Amino acid sequence: MRALTAVAIGLAAAFALVLAVTAAGVPSGETSPEPLRTTVPAHP
Amino acid sequence: MRRKASLVLLAFAVFFATLSPLLRWYAFPRLAKIPPNQYQDMVLEAKPATLLDYGTMRARQVPKVSIVQTLKGNVEESERIERTAGRDVVVWDALSHVVGPDGKMVSQIPERYIFDAHTQEPVHATGEMVDGDPVRRTGIEFKWPFLTEPRDYDYFDAQTRTSAPIHYRGTRTFRGLDVYYFEQTIPWTKVPLPKKMPVQGITPQAVEKAGTSRWYSTKRMFWVDPVTGAPVNGEELHREELRGGSLVPGGGKVTAFSGHVKMRPDYVAATVDLVTSQRRLVLLLTSYLPWGFLGLGAALLTLSLVLEARGRRPDRGRPEPERAEPVSSA
Repeated sequence: MRALTAVAIGLAAAFALVLAVTAAGVPSGETSPEPLRTTVPAHP
Repeated sequence: MRRKASLVLLAFAVFFATLSPLLRWYAFPRLAKIPPNQYQDMVLEAKPATLLDYGTMRARQVPKVSIVQTLKGNVEESERIERTAGRDVVVWDALSHVVGPDGKMVSQIPERYIFDAHTQEPVHATGEMVDGDPVRRTGIEFKWPFLTEPRDYDYFDAQTRTSAPIHYRGTRTFRGLDVYYFEQTIPWTKVPLPKKMPVQGITPQAVEKAGTSRWYSTKRMFWVDPVTGAPVNGEELHREELRGGSLVPGGGKVTAFSGHVKMRPDYVAATVDLVTSQRRLVLLLTSYLPWGFLGLGAALLTLSLVLEARGRRPDRGRPEPERAEPVSSA
């Protein structure tokens, strides 16, 4: 019974962590103020 | 005490063993995406190249033609489209600006490319265009999906406004990276004239009215990192002709542009560096962490079982309890 509880805790913690990380996602940021280039840049 | 420790180890073993497939098959497809605010430029060069002199309407060889390509993520537009599309969308406003040896514009083609941030599948929404013409893309453009497969893909050609297969031609080593090599050949095709012509006063409508049409053919080659799906090198054997009508001497054909276009070496180096760093991040989620966690889970499970077994075994230092003498009846 105690082993089953330990397994359940491990499973729940793994699911909770992955769901939290994926739900948080990645922030979108803002559109770059840089213009579309019409001159040849000297370097990258 | 030992049994308590073995239970804690068992919980951690299950935690890491569960995390392994969850990271690879649940978290990775949701976390790996093209950021909507990406800004990237690229310079390609044809040295030498053939260009049309619009003054004499004859082709001439020039030492160099440069193509400056910019991809700019439009966050506001991507958020607007996401509200109706119901998925993560990236909107790239792109510009291919071609510059002659004198620094003057040869042609300029703007594009709006809208696609799924995770899969690179095209998303169709108002504003999707090439040079102001509405288009409906199929296949990919500029970038391959994460974890690119060694197979043919449909690749969108902006000049013809159509998609055609880009063929997988094998694995190559490029600057220390194992990459997939892809090739696409577009046969001679009649294509629209660019809205912005290199000479003041000449409009695409005037050229068409003179009965002259623009034809194009290309062979494009890409060396693609299969982990990130990002091309680390690109080349194109690009040819354009003006055919027929009163503008072309004799009504035949004249080369408008011809050249072997290659990425400028400093941009190749910068792209390889960028892809190498991004590749590590993708591998972390698809390989390093899942395999590491699986191994750790197995090790912890073994340790937990060993502790459990020892906890159940009688201690050797302690004297065994005396057995009761069998009672026999006299």
